[in-house]
Amino acid sequence: MALLEKVDKNIEARAWQGEIPIQSRYTCGLAGEKFFREIMENGRFAGTHCAECEYTYVPPTIYCERCFAKLDEWVEVGPEGTVQSFTVLLVAPDGTPLEEPDILALIQLDGADSVLVHRLGKVGLDELAIGMRVKAVFKPKKEREGSILDIVHFVPVNA
Amino acid sequence: MGLRKVAVVGAGMTKFVRRAQETGKELAYEAAKMALDSCELTLDDVDGVALGTAPDAFDGVHMKGEYLSDGAGAWRKPFMRSYVGGGTGVFAPIQGWYHVASGLFDVCLVVCEEKMSSCQPHPQGAFLTIFDHTTERPLGPNLLWIFALEMNRYMQTYGLQKKDIALVSVKNKRNAADHPCALLGDPNITVEDVLKSEVLAWPVQRLDVSPVTDGAVALVLAAENVAKRITDKPVWIKGVGWSLDTAYWTNRDLYYPKYVEYAARMAYEMAGIREPRKEIHIVEPYDPFDYKELHHLEGLLLADKGEAPRLTAEGVTARTGNMPVCPSGGLLGVGNPIAAAGLMKVAEIFWQLRGEAGKRQVPGKPITGLAQAWGDLMQVGTVIILGIGG
Ligand SMILES: [Zn+2]
Repeated sequence: MALLEKVDKNIEARAWQGEIPIQSRYTCGLAGEKFFREIMENGRFAGTHCAECEYTYVPPTIYCERCFAKLDEWVEVGPEGTVQSFTVLLVAPDGTPLEEPDILALIQLDGADSVLVHRLGKVGLDELAIGMRVKAVFKPKKEREGSILDIVHFVPVNA
Repeated sequence: MGLRKVAVVGAGMTKFVRRAQETGKELAYEAAKMALDSCELTLDDVDGVALGTAPDAFDGVHMKGEYLSDGAGAWRKPFMRSYVGGGTGVFAPIQGWYHVASGLFDVCLVVCEEKMSSCQPHPQGAFLTIFDHTTERPLGPNLLWIFALEMNRYMQTYGLQKKDIALVSVKNKRNAADHPCALLGDPNITVEDVLKSEVLAWPVQRLDVSPVTDGAVALVLAAENVAKRITDKPVWIKGVGWSLDTAYWTNRDLYYPKYVEYAARMAYEMAGIREPRKEIHIVEPYDPFDYKELHHLEGLLLADKGEAPRLTAEGVTARTGNMPVCPSGGLLGVGNPIAAAGLMKVAEIFWQLRGEAGKRQVPGKPITGLAQAWGDLMQVGTVIILGIGG
């Protein structure tokens, strides 16, 4: 096996940098259109409900993956919810330390069966706990642009 | 089911390294050639080729399957590429199995390759784009934090400490010290070393994680009548299973891998295994993170829920224990070239059952072993059971 194990610089293995020149144009879909419009205009979470499976999807879907029914029953959920897990991110993807730890959490909004991933804010690291109650904080209405980042983060309910 | 018996008759693998000078094709060739040589076959004996390789972005070549095809021995042959993320390395031999079991081919070459070092500045860049573009990608997700969320959930559910889990990393990196192809074997590593390593995304620390790696592995599969002509030590594929949970990774309760249980039940049923804890002698569960080995042992029904850490602490899963787990050294020790890492686990079971694992050989002449991988958006389980005799 002629494998070089000790090549630390690409150039030593006569490698070069290249890229695949594509960009993507994404849409948020039919369900996403309603979900983000509700956030932008009303600061509320809209989900879809499958009566057959008794399951509420947030973010919403236009079909139920469990029974394959088309879903058109919309329900309001949240804005409070419960933390199902969290992580405190201390390094960036390139390995450099972050100045401020980034806290990500899985949040089950009240009334939803599915779970949303988002940031936590205004919370001490020693307060973090699975099961803690949190609520969504939205950007000011005129700054919202139909993005998941229209939610600034979730904060403890008692904050 | 009217299926033919299928045996693994040969295996080969390259060293697992951080940055290979070889191209992906060359890596695939090294492993495939070694596998054919190991059972004295040539390309003329091969009826079809099943290739497993993970995202195109790793090698930086779209249509990566076709790019790798000549190195994988597919010139002018039926050639199929499968891809189920990290589960690919155990799915590719399942694909090879059904081509032979169905009667379509007598001999199928299975090749898995990954060259992650091509992906700059870091393969995490490719992982960013596996998430939903509307609801998740704006948050800048990476794999570390989704694993951290799952690990935290697992620890919380059973009241586990980091030190309970670090034992897995220590065991596997020590086992890998005896693997001639390993990237990260370390005979002297301790739990303290793991607990003192850099915190990346709590509770995940540097030594809880397997490294980015380049490498390739290949197996030769043959139908019963052909296998018996090729070798007097065929290793039979006794059962296969795979299952996919919801693609909304947030919507599963992350403490238990139900999809692994479904895949395992499918494989056990096919293999006629009723009591897996008695009938499976060695296990190679997927261990890209140390907690995943524990998680997967539970999903495979080889440990009660929440009990895999205790089995580890008691030495049951050591190479000399009652149920050796990752005697190869696993992904944590041998390395993690995604698809190739999964197939390495199947190759390890092959070598162990034939008594050809050298310094890694487990005692007690095992006759049945299981390899498992996991991937996609953390929700695919792939399982294969190999056995000798019968
Ligand atoms: Zn339904």
